[in-house]
Amino acid sequence: MPEAGVPVGYFFAVSTLLFSLGVFGALRRTNPVAILMSIELMLNAVNINFVAFSRHLGAADPVRGPMFAIFVITVAAAEVSLGLAIVLALLRRRRSADVNEFDALKG
Amino acid sequence: MNWPLVAFFFLAGVTLYSAYRVVVDETITHAALYLAIAFVGVAGFYALLGADFLAFVQVLVYAGAVMTVLLFTIMLSDIREVRGLKLPLFRRLTSPRWGAVPAALAAGLAALLLAAFAGSALLAGPEGRPVGLGELARALLTTYLVPFEVASVLLLAAMVGAIVLSKGEGER
Repeated sequence: MPEAGVPVGYFFAVSTLLFSLGVFGALRRTNPVAILMSIELMLNAVNINFVAFSRHLGAADPVRGPMFAIFVITVAAAEVSLGLAIVLALLRRRRSADVNEFDALKG
Repeated sequence: MNWPLVAFFFLAGVTLYSAYRVVVDETITHAALYLAIAFVGVAGFYALLGADFLAFVQVLVYAGAVMTVLLFTIMLSDIREVRGLKLPLFRRLTSPRWGAVPAALAAGLAALLLAAFAGSALLAGPEGRPVGLGELARALLTTYLVPFEVASVLLLAAMVGAIVLSKGEGER
């Protein structure tokens, strides 16, 4: 057990549940903003895992895990800004917030 | 008394409940505010794991910047347009189309991952240590210099793209 006093498995359990909630939300929601929020939940769960693994198994290279987490946060910030811009453009053009109605790219 | 463990369970409860509200709450503004609580809870996990800098970044970027952008988007758009489904919670959770299949998939995924983690030998490895900000900064500008520069270009591209996309048609 680390000096923090929390077994590392607990972090994996929480991140698993957080990721599953994100999957549930991303599949269930029809509102594009809510889907983006669910995706953010999933990315946060992944980041918890990166940091927890690095903290408890990364004796050889302790920097790598946090570094991955930083890049995930960076990409997530870019993703959310672009995603919300697309949502705004869609709302202006279609007057609708249901992803089931956005089928312009349907083959 | 094992205070870190107490803090962990408190954070886990708050974070998971907020995450649950994020995925089921009808009012999108409430879901966004619960998402902010979940982000702060995740920052608490980072602090518990000794990653102080990441906890700081989490609050700054997620609870600060991402939440601001989300709330601005929700409030700039017509609220009725982004409200989404209007079915009551019970019907949504039990209806085959909107609730049952995603719930079954998510529960199956959770059970699979938890079983894999519980049975894995990964938990018995040698322990790492907390990484300080100086060490992180040095690695970012030496070993991870190329990804760092690529990330900055990515952020610039995302910013330009977001501006172009969210501008109106006739304003170019």
